[in-house]
Formats: sequence, structure tokens, C-alpha cells
Amino acid sequence: MTAILRDLLRHNTEFRTGAVLVGIVLLLSAMASFSPYPPQDVFVVPPDVPPSLTYWFGTTSRGQDVFWQLSFAIRNTLLFGCTVALISRLLALVIGLLSGYRGGWIDRALMSVNDTFIVIPLLPILVLFYFVMRDRMSWLLLASIMACLGWAYDARLIRSVAMSLKAREFTQSSLFSGMSTREILVQEHLPYVMPIVFSTSMNNMVWSIGLEVTLAVLGFTDINTPTIGGMIYWANQHTAMVAGVWWWIAFPTIAVIMTFIGLFLLAVSMNDYIDPRSRLHSFGGAS
Amino acid sequence: MLAETTQGYLPDEALPILSVHDLQAHFRTDRFGVKRDVKAVDGISFAVRRGEIYGLAGESSSGKTTLIKTIAGAVRPPLEVVGGRVDFAFLPSYGGLHRAPAAEVARIRWRHLSYIMQGSMNVLNPLRRLWASFVDFAYPHIGGSRKQFEQEVVAHLARLRLDPSVLAAYPHELSGGMRQRATIALATICRPDLILADEPTNALDVVVQKEVLGMISGIQREIGSSVLLVTHDLGVHAHVTGRLGIMYAGRLIEEAATAEIFRNPLHPYTRHLISSLPRIGDDVPRQGLEGAPPNLADPPPGCRFHPRCPLAMEICRCQVPATLETAPAHRVACFAVNRSAQP
Amino acid sequence: MSELLLDVSQVSKTFTRGGLLSRQRIVAVDDVSFQLDARRPEIFAIIGESGSGKTTLSRMILNVETPSSGKLLFDGTDLAAIRTSASRMSFMQKVQPIFQNPFESFNPLRRLERYLFMTQRRFIAADQRVTPEMAVDAALHKVGLSLKEVSRRYPHELSGGQLQRVAIARALLANPKLIVADEPVSMIDASLRISIVNLFKTLRDDLGISIIYVTHDLATAYYISDRIMIMQKGNVVESGDARTVLKAPQHPYSRQLREAALLPEAATDLSVSMTHLTSPRASER
Repeated sequence: MTAILRDLLRHNTEFRTGAVLVGIVLLLSAMASFSPYPPQDVFVVPPDVPPSLTYWFGTTSRGQDVFWQLSFAIRNTLLFGCTVALISRLLALVIGLLSGYRGGWIDRALMSVNDTFIVIPLLPILVLFYFVMRDRMSWLLLASIMACLGWAYDARLIRSVAMSLKAREFTQSSLFSGMSTREILVQEHLPYVMPIVFSTSMNNMVWSIGLEVTLAVLGFTDINTPTIGGMIYWANQHTAMVAGVWWWIAFPTIAVIMTFIGLFLLAVSMNDYIDPRSRLHSFGGAS
Repeated sequence: MLAETTQGYLPDEALPILSVHDLQAHFRTDRFGVKRDVKAVDGISFAVRRGEIYGLAGESSSGKTTLIKTIAGAVRPPLEVVGGRVDFAFLPSYGGLHRAPAAEVARIRWRHLSYIMQGSMNVLNPLRRLWASFVDFAYPHIGGSRKQFEQEVVAHLARLRLDPSVLAAYPHELSGGMRQRATIALATICRPDLILADEPTNALDVVVQKEVLGMISGIQREIGSSVLLVTHDLGVHAHVTGRLGIMYAGRLIEEAATAEIFRNPLHPYTRHLISSLPRIGDDVPRQGLEGAPPNLADPPPGCRFHPRCPLAMEICRCQVPATLETAPAHRVACFAVNRSAQP
Repeated sequence: MSELLLDVSQVSKTFTRGGLLSRQRIVAVDDVSFQLDARRPEIFAIIGESGSGKTTLSRMILNVETPSSGKLLFDGTDLAAIRTSASRMSFMQKVQPIFQNPFESFNPLRRLERYLFMTQRRFIAADQRVTPEMAVDAALHKVGLSLKEVSRRYPHELSGGQLQRVAIARALLANPKLIVADEPVSMIDASLRISIVNLFKTLRDDLGISIIYVTHDLATAYYISDRIMIMQKGNVVESGDARTVLKAPQHPYSRQLREAALLPEAATDLSVSMTHLTSPRASER
């Protein structure tokens, strides 16, 4: 594994750039542990101070240091994105692989459920959940709901790969070697499906973070836990752009853009390496 | 009558239609810091005369596919021509199609040089009717009015026993055999000087295969083209080709008239190959060849066959055997054979 | 143990294609019957072109496809009655496949030895005297390879001929009574083909394994088969002793196949081979 990462770092510019960007973001989120101010507190520092040596990213109209707020915000946002991605990948994998391999009525049943979830309009449902749950809507709950809405597309994708793998002869060889369905899916088919899982999880993270930011900006989430969206929401509430407090909006936005671009570059560059076809290509010389 | 559209050269009857001289083509890859140099074609020289069907036989990783790609000018990275020349009688000066300007290549394609490829679907556009393919490829060279061209095409299809109605069909509507015959019609309608055929009957059923091969030789005889036929199937070579070259690991190890190769193979590899073919009516048990063809990224030094050769000597490990004319019109690259042939 | 190893009786398979509005029925296999004797291991060749139904028939024998009508009995057990995983495993232990494309028979991303050890573990009861390594090495030796050569290798590192041998070794590890080989040598180089085909002979003679050899190549079928069955468009056209049928085929289709087989003898027959001609181009222009 480390050999692969080292090779990628050395030879692949995209990977290097992506790694640097994501590295900066991760560093920022790690620094939250060293914050001198608790994240929920307001008016701990003079408000509306532009970026300076004392306050690196300036301060907000609520008297919070933008830098330390951002470190908590980016940490929470990343955690949120990772959780959604993890849960929805698991769902998509299990449903997609089982459906594709088994076929028959299992496939039909699962795909009907799948298609229902694809058709559900996301934003209205999320807003609905917010209105119903309001105060009890923690970010974990929101993450779970979004995960349940986000697995459908990719399950179909994984299913089609599973179907094509079933038709290949090595699946038959595995069967006649005595492997059970679960073993075949996990040991034989999963390596082929992993590149899809990987690149779609990057996608998924970007999507969930974007949606969370949207909801937060609109005020539909727990606005006391600092997140990127939360920061922008409060900035809007205090009409930061009009008041000239541009640093309140600029730095969170830059942070989230860096995250998106970094993740994208990582996904794209690793995909070339992980994808079985391109790896097989690099093995063989032609005749 | 078809309009002659050649520009400014006089065909020399004595010149071979295709002359390959010490051709070397390698696959060079550099992935993640690992450099690989696969010597797929490593010093091959041969010539195809006018009006003959010349066969190239070889197994997987013999380099025959790379060779025909290089001759056809399909040289794109990671494939690189590292040395040698490919000269056609109708395109003498560039040393290879990949070095010629695009205008020259367009001039000779289909008109002087055409292809019959392994999968007929590689040539025929699946989204267009057959007639459209003829118009795209052949009409620019043949010219004349559309009506005249249509008559030419129909007459030509009749030679291959294809009904004119196939022109209105899409490729997938025809059977494999009919598609391949249509590809042959496309490749021969401009009466090219040289036809490159790469495994033309590979995917076809045995009965259809025999039919298609008969048509290739029939049409070749009629229009006087030369054919370079590449296939691993020795049975095909036996039926169709006049001269045969045997390739092994990127080199040409034996070349003679086809009948001569089957009757009196000289190189140890060829001998084993010929004797290992099972025949109906012959119950003699046969022996296979030990080992496997070498990895072209790291081939054995000297003669590439020496690890598997029953006649291997010390010199075989160190030097590459030269291709010498051991018997009249019979070239072999083997120290053991050439040594014993000397007085 | 019943007398018949395999009893295929009046087996047919029809595929329906198309949606609600247009349904096409394709009869892949039509009323095929034959038997394999349990006491006498033999090599039984099924010969046909594409579309003859030979692959569908072999898949039904492997119990990967179910027949539309008719019955298949292996060692007295009706294949249709195999439902539990235990009975399926017991069937797979006795009947093993060999596929056409050796490079496709194994997962290109995994090591080869996995399949060998897996087969050995799942099908053979543990024996204190014989470790898995010994068993796998023994099977590989039977096909002319060794565990040292194959250990830690990926499929792309071996040639087609070697891979096919590994596939045969894997099948042997289950200790089967019947091997169903679908075009096992068609994708292998001519020089390596004969050694695989010879190997099948050894399996029959030394190990007593019956082999169903599905192919379109008459020459290799002649070389090793005891009996053959020629199929065309799902029907059995001719069957019987291999030598008899191939030397003197009766049915017109069999004759056609026999004539169309491209045999190397043609090269030395001067009336067939081409000689090089001078160019007639000047007169044609």
C-alpha cells in the first residue's frame, strides 16, 4: 500500500496536488483540538477585526475568531461527509452486489426499492424532516438520512458491474472451487467494484457537503454546532458582505473549495491506478 | 473503365511489391517509474513479390500482429519503430507508412494498399449501411459517375457471390461469413497492389472459412494483387499461400515455399510445429514442445529459441543466428542447420 | 453406484428472447440423448459449429443451465433434484469444468494458487498424512507443473498453455469422475496444443476420469476421442465410434465438416497450392 502511495506521489502531478490540498484541509481540522476558544462561545474576541497578525483570518460579527471557528467547522463538515459516504457506500455495495449476482426476484425487489429512492426529491424531503424533527435534528441524524437517500444511483452502477462479472468464466471457476456466494462477492468481485466505490465516495462526499452547506445556509440544521454552512448562515444573518466583513465568508468558501478540488484530484488520479483494466494494461507487453 | 489516378511513378515489374528490411519495432512504456522495452519485432527482413500470396505464421507473442501493424502504418505510442525500413513499390521513398505525409497515405490507402482485418466489424461502420462504406472508402479512388460506380460495385460483389441487396443492409444484419466477404469486396474493389490480411477467417465456422479462403485466392488470382496473410493457423497457410515465413519471438526463423516448409522443415521449431499437428486418419502419438514462448520484455540472449531447442549449442546462447539461404529459396536462421548444410 | 455415469435423455433447451410485444423462441438443443458408462472411462467428443448447441448442452451437464425438457442423471442423481448446497457441493466434486479461455478462467487480480488450495480444502476431507501443499503439488505434477513454478503467480505471468494446465490441475484436485472441457485448446498455440490434448489421454488412461470434449476441431477430436457426437443447430446429426465416423462420415453435414477441415496435407498437394503469377495488370486496365 505504501509503495503505491509513494509511486503516486512521485510520478503523478494530480495526486500530488490533491494530496497537498487535502493535507492542508486536514491539518486545519486537526488544529481544532488546540483551539483556545470553545466553539459555541460568542463574543470572546473583539468583533469585525480584519485579518491581522493577532487574528489570522479576522473575527466575525459575533466576536469569534474566524481561524479557530473554521478549524472546527471544517472538521465537522468533513466528518459529516465521511459518515454519509461510508454509510451510503456500504448500502450501495451490499444491495448492488447481491442484486447483480443473484438476479431473479431478489434483483427485481431490490431494484424497485432502489428506483423509488432515486425518484425521491432530496431537498423537499430534507426540509420536511427538519420541520418535523427540528430541535432533535443532530448532525448524525442528518447524516443517516442523507446516506439513506444517497445510495441509489451507485447501487445500480455496482449492480451492472456485478452482472457482467457473473457472466465471466472465473466466477464459474470460483463456484466449482467450492466458494459460497458471500465469498465470491467479497473475494472475487469486490476488487473490480472498488474503483467505482472509491470514486463515487469522493463524489458522494462532495454532494453531501454541498447539500449540508445549502441546508445550513438556509438555516435548516443545527446552527450552533459550527459547520461551513453554519458559518455562512451566520455571516448572512449579519449581512457580512454588505457590512464589509468579507473574511467571514471568504475563508470558509476557500476551505470548502480546496476540499472539493483536493478530493476530486485524488479520486481521479487514484482511479487510474486502482482500476483493474488499466492496471492489467500496465502489466502486459503486447505481442 | 476505371480511371487511373496514380501520380507520377512507373511500376517496375522486377521490384517486389513490399520489401521489409531489418525492421525493429518496440513497445516502450514508462509507468510509475518502471521502464519496459518489449522487443516485439526485432530485425525482420523479407519481401513479397508481385502476384503472390505470402504467409506469415507465428503463435502468440511471436510479434506477427505488431509486424503487420507496423507495415500498415498503425504506429502509435507506446509502439515505436526503432530501426529498419518498410518499402512499397508504390511508395518507395519514406521507409515506412508512418513516416509518409498524410496526403500520400490517403492516396495509397484502398487504392494500392488495403486491409482485411481480423474482425469485420473493425472495418465496417455499424451505424451505416454497407453502401455507405463503399462510397466512403472506394469512390474517392475510383471516381466516375455514381451510377457507374454502383455498377462496378455490384459486379464486384457478384465475384464474391454476394447479392446486391446486401448493400442496403447494416453490418449486424449479415452473418459473419457474409460480413467478411463484404470486407474482402471492400478491400479488393480498387484492385490494390497489396492486401494485408490479418487472421481473416479467425472467427468463422470451419465450412464458411473454407469458402472465404477460396474467395480470397480466387479474387487474388483474378485481379493480380499480392497478399500478405498473417495467421497462426497452419492449415490456412497450407491451403492458400505460396510462400511461408515462420516467426518466433519477434524474428523470422524460416522462409520457403509453403509446400517445401511442410515437406521439409529445417528449423527445429518448425519441425516440431509441423510434426505436432494431428491429422485425421493418422493415429501416431505426438509430442508437444516443452516450455513456452519467451517474454519479449526480457528475451533470452542469442537465439531466442535456444531454451527449448533440442539442438542448442554453446554459440546459440551468445550470438543471434543469421538468416542464410540454406537450400534454394529456403532461408533458415539456425546455427545447427546452417552449419550442417555447409560443406 | 449405478451403471451409467451420465445419462442424458431427450434433453431440449429453448431460449425465449424479447419483451412483451415480440418474443423469439430459439431452440438451442433439441432432443439430445447419450450415455456414458461408469465402468469404462472414455473421452466423448461433442462436435459442432457455433450455434450447434454444444456449449448449451455442456452447461446443462454442468448443472449451470436447466433443461426445458428431458432429464439428466449423473451417477443416478437427477440434476433437477439438486437443490441444497450440500448436494450441490457433492455434485461439483464429481463433475468439474475446463473453459475455453485460460486467461478468463482465473480472476486476473488474484493469485492462482488460491483456487488450487480452495478446491483442495473444500472438496477433499482432511487427511493427516497429506498436507494441502503436498496435494496441490501432486496435482500440478500430474499436469507437468510444480507448486514452486505456480506459487505467488498471477494469471498474466503464465502462458495460455500453462494456465490451461493449472485449470486442469484445479479440476483434478476435486478428484472428479467427469471433466467437461469446452473448447479447451482452441485458444492455445498450436505447439502447446498437443501436450494438453495428450494430457487428457493420460487422465483417462491413468486416472480413470471420463472427459466430455466439446470442440469444433476434427483433428484433435480424432486424435483422442473414443466416441463422438456431431451436432448441427441443436440436433444430433451423427454419432458413434470416433475413428469410424471421422474416417467415413455418413451424414451430409458430417461430410461437409470433414471436407472443410483445413489439413496440412493440402500444402504438399500441388493441385491446391498457389504458385506465384506474373502481373496481368497491364491487360486489365
